[in-house]
Amino acid sequence: MSIQNLNTFDPFAEGNEEDVQDGLVHIRIQQRNGRKTLTTVQGLSSNYDLKKIVRTCKKEFACNGTVIEHPEYGEVLQLQGDQRENICQFLTKMGLVKQEQLKVHGF
Amino acid sequence: MAEEDAIFDPTLVKKKKKKKTTFDLDAALADESSNPVTTTTSSAVENEESTENAGNEIDHDFDLENLGKKKKKKVKKPLNMDELETALQEANEETSAAIDIEGEDGMDDTFDLEKMKKKKKKKADINELLDQENENVDVNNTDQWHGSDRDYTYDELLNRIFEIILEKNPDMAAGRKPKFVMRPPQVLRVGTKKTSFANFTEICKTLHRQQKHLLDFLLAELGTSGSVDGNSQLIIKGRFQPKQIENVLRRYIKEYVTCHTCRSPETILQKDTRLFFLQCESCGSRCSVASIKSGFQAVTGKRSAIRAKNA
Ligand SMILES: [Zn+2]
Repeated sequence: MSIQNLNTFDPFAEGNEEDVQDGLVHIRIQQRNGRKTLTTVQGLSSNYDLKKIVRTCKKEFACNGTVIEHPEYGEVLQLQGDQRENICQFLTKMGLVKQEQLKVHGF
Repeated sequence: MAEEDAIFDPTLVKKKKKKKTTFDLDAALADESSNPVTTTTSSAVENEESTENAGNEIDHDFDLENLGKKKKKKVKKPLNMDELETALQEANEETSAAIDIEGEDGMDDTFDLEKMKKKKKKKADINELLDQENENVDVNNTDQWHGSDRDYTYDELLNRIFEIILEKNPDMAAGRKPKFVMRPPQVLRVGTKKTSFANFTEICKTLHRQQKHLLDFLLAELGTSGSVDGNSQLIIKGRFQPKQIENVLRRYIKEYVTCHTCRSPETILQKDTRLFFLQCESCGSRCSVASIKSGFQAVTGKRSAIRAKNA
């Protein structure tokens, strides 16, 4: 996999010292119809380009996905199927999120 | 080992003897007392050895209370031997089969006096009987100190206390603390789209947590909705396996029930200025716990239905 620049780093932006993940990233699973499930990733730093991340994830995990803009939670990643394991590995491997910042919910 | 060898023969014969009598205990008792010929067929030496045997067994009895029950005696005698020599049991399984059932009742105490009475009836030789009685008393006193004036040794007392502790708390056999046990969640499918958590309220009670708190946590974690119905079971939307519910429950216990410092389950969950605190009853530690948030919930239902509702 080609390593893309997933950071949208702007050196001229104000107060950009939190250019890495600071809060917890919540990874949840929801059931849909039948055996279908949905994985959501909430809390990724707004400095990351979520559109780029989702594009890579879709290819990597062979699933569909989208970025949803939420008034309270900001940009949320949404992937089809149970991708909790995959996304955890991906985020840590890419150095976007530290292991201890990941909070996996669900069964 | 030598002792066991000595025991081996008499018990074998004895059990067989007993087997004959177990069919009708009352009749057998009467038989024994009225016509001693049948029972005394076994040699005197044998009887002597068996009483010695009985003396050994007495060591294992702590309370000698139910001496009065005559019927059980007969069964009890071979019973105790079973306990002592399990190896023996294998040798003569046919004889002990009937007795084993009684053994599970755990009524294995106190037969020495009866035994002696029986012996009295059986035996014509009074001298021999007296010898036996003395023997019985002797064996009784060598291991336990009651009846003698001597001081208990430290080791004796130490053994005694550990024996009692083990007897009363079988869990502690491995030397660990009694573990916090909870009944597993009973999870059943309701129709095709719902899951019932049948013992939800019961589990709340064992965990000493409010139903609402656990309910909020479960629903938030599972990303679904649900409610407690009239039969106090929790109905959750979606299909969930018992194992999955158990996993979530385990996380709940880890975060909101067991103390974060000492892992004791004796804790109180208090709400204080919008934050929940876990107060430990064992070590006194107090720490804040994560508040329950569902967070972002994706739209999983029919969008048209939502539109209709909002419109
Ligand atoms: Zn504690």
